[in-house]
Amino acid sequence: MISILTRAVMMSTPLLLGSIAEVFAERTGMMVTAIEGIFLMGAWGGFIGTFISGSIVVGLLTAVLMGFLMALLYAFITVYLRQQQIVVGTAMNILAGGICAYFQRVLFGIPTTPLQISVLEKIPIPILSDIPVLGEIFFEQNILTYIAYLVIPVSYIILFKTSLGLAIRSVGENPEAADVSGINVNRIRFSTVLVAGAFGGLAGSFYTVGYLGMFTTGIIGGRGWIAFAICFLGNWNPKGAVFGTLVFGLAEAISIYLQSTGGIAIMPNEFVIALPYILTIALTIAKRSFNVPAKLGVPYLKES
Amino acid sequence: MAENAVELHNVTKCFSKVIANDDVSLEIGKGEVVALLGENGAGKSTIMKILYGLYSMDEGRIVIDGKEVRIKSPKDAISHGIAMIQQHFSLVFPHTVTENIVLGNVHGWLDLKEAKEKVGMLAKKYGFPVPLDARVGDLAVGVQQKVEILKALYLDARILIMDEPTAVLTPQEAESLVSFIRSYAADGNSVVFITHKMKEVMESADRIIVMRNGRITGNVLKSETNERELARMMMGEELEVESEEEPIDVSKLPVSIEVVDARKKNRDGIAVLDGVSFSVHKGEIFGIAGVSGNGQDEICEAISGNMKLDGGKIIFEGKDITNESVRKRIEEGIGYVPVDRYKDGMVMEMTLSENMMLKSSYSEKWVKNGFIDKKGIDEYTDEVIRDYQVKATGHSDIAHNLSGGNQQKVVLAREIDAGRHAIIFNQPTRGLDIGAVDRIHRAIKGEKRKGKAVVVVSTELTEIFELSDRICVMYRGKIMGIYNRGELTTGRIGLLMAGVEDGKA
Repeated sequence: MISILTRAVMMSTPLLLGSIAEVFAERTGMMVTAIEGIFLMGAWGGFIGTFISGSIVVGLLTAVLMGFLMALLYAFITVYLRQQQIVVGTAMNILAGGICAYFQRVLFGIPTTPLQISVLEKIPIPILSDIPVLGEIFFEQNILTYIAYLVIPVSYIILFKTSLGLAIRSVGENPEAADVSGINVNRIRFSTVLVAGAFGGLAGSFYTVGYLGMFTTGIIGGRGWIAFAICFLGNWNPKGAVFGTLVFGLAEAISIYLQSTGGIAIMPNEFVIALPYILTIALTIAKRSFNVPAKLGVPYLKES
Repeated sequence: MAENAVELHNVTKCFSKVIANDDVSLEIGKGEVVALLGENGAGKSTIMKILYGLYSMDEGRIVIDGKEVRIKSPKDAISHGIAMIQQHFSLVFPHTVTENIVLGNVHGWLDLKEAKEKVGMLAKKYGFPVPLDARVGDLAVGVQQKVEILKALYLDARILIMDEPTAVLTPQEAESLVSFIRSYAADGNSVVFITHKMKEVMESADRIIVMRNGRITGNVLKSETNERELARMMMGEELEVESEEEPIDVSKLPVSIEVVDARKKNRDGIAVLDGVSFSVHKGEIFGIAGVSGNGQDEICEAISGNMKLDGGKIIFEGKDITNESVRKRIEEGIGYVPVDRYKDGMVMEMTLSENMMLKSSYSEKWVKNGFIDKKGIDEYTDEVIRDYQVKATGHSDIAHNLSGGNQQKVVLAREIDAGRHAIIFNQPTRGLDIGAVDRIHRAIKGEKRKGKAVVVVSTELTEIFELSDRICVMYRGKIMGIYNRGELTTGRIGLLMAGVEDGKA
């Protein structure tokens, strides 16, 4: 039981980083529909960075850079060229798959055995990890999970307790009002998406550097979209995202447990991936009041 | 005025092909209230948006407190003490009053407590009772405007620009706004308000700057002018006063629309139509007066078919149409100009041609060989643009880019054409300037002379008296009475509108 929960917290890590990144972007009115591709590029960046340099730190930095570059392209096209976010995101997700597959082949050919890298070690936190049960679940994780712990309060404080957060929230609700108040709408949107991309890349790297130690083009398998859905489900709030993330981290941990024990696959992996969407639809139908940012997905065109 | 707070020198601004401001120079004194008067599309808002940094000018200079400045964004304008309240408010509805006020004016931590204290003090000083923790979207429009003003005060604005500030206010709210403007200016601040309402100008301005077609056509002290002179500056010509129509005896005319005991309850179970009966004859204008929200919108929608009645009947040309669809009624020849042209009248993102055929897209008229007769509709739209003097470059203009008055002309033209037998006008001239009002009134009278049955709903008494052959007054979903035009005085109709039986106090 404890090991399932430990695993749930672990599997929640990338979803949490990704969904909070998405929350920030969407609060400014930008759906980062390229998030699946950003995850994938992050995973790949983490892998080749580590493989080539032998250093996990370099791997993580490469992952962040990859996410950042993807976001840069996405944000430039959607914010400044004002193109349709869903179309651009879909195209970029396909592009990311192609890039990874192509360069993986160019760099490594078709290896007979999968290429392996060492993964992030678990770092038990002194004292805290000695707490019975909870210690093992929460404080014997790798560095990325601890970063995710930090991101929760920090993101909440930035969003609701700082002027930057107010600007971010206003830009997604009423960009004209923000503009009239002296806020540069497109600059806020652009830079928020870049930061979100960097975190998305880091989140993606978890699957290679933090967990599997290898790379396949199907490694993300829709988990970027899960992060995307958790953002909706969590009502565009980091607190909600934490809740949503834990639900799916748990679902995934159970699914892995069932597979590893060779038990009958009562819950196929596809169902786990579909779960956030099913839940989102169910909740929407149940008319829970969602506060969708009013200008989500709408480019801002300033008359001049 | 000894000193000028702001001077604009030779400002010119073009939007693609259209000149919005042509060599405009003006100055605003310290402690002065300036009214910027002009028709819609005269360039009033444009010149102020340039001053506020929302638009960039093509040519010209801005001088503030005697020093030339460059204003490239609202941020620059704010730093020079300029604040502008847009016609459509710039508020973030899901956020609280305080959050809205500090937006863009705080750095680092969001210290709402301190902000609230300062806002509370300002609110008290100017007598604005505003709930600081309420969501702005939950507040009434008049209160939202106070939030906008508080925001300007919070910024320590010395120059306050307001675009059509009274358009959304009740008369009482407008009065309190005027008294705020006076006391604010008395502290040495400057106010510019953009308006097309003559009455407002004469009540609150020190000086009046009149614009027409992007140029300044008048710059006078209020004490040295009068409404007639201002109107001439605005219009460029004396308004043609149409002679009083001959009273007509409607009893000899055939009945077109008959409303019999119409009843409707709203979602809260309150009767919005409470046994309304009247008939409209061919060749008459039937005016429906009343304070807005007393059932006028519902009666219009009941006739046009957009709303189903709970009880009663609508009879048109002898046929019971109570349960007929909107489309069927359009085919029967009923035109309807809805009150909210933004919401119900047009698709703002589409071209004028497309808007023109919005209601008759399925009709044979615009179909050729199974496809839309693009050429036919374009030619027809250009004709309308000519006939109604719509200020647009052509049929392919996007509706959104036209001024309010010109949009209304397009809707009007479409409905006049659609309403072969009857037309309902719900507030046809709301928010329009005198020139457009005049042209629209003439068009409505023209349709009546063609023998159509015309219903005009208006909250403006002058409009009711100008147009109607018969006038009915609505109050709380009931008809207070139906009168011939000559039977009513302004005083009596006012009492009827307030619910006094027979208008005799």
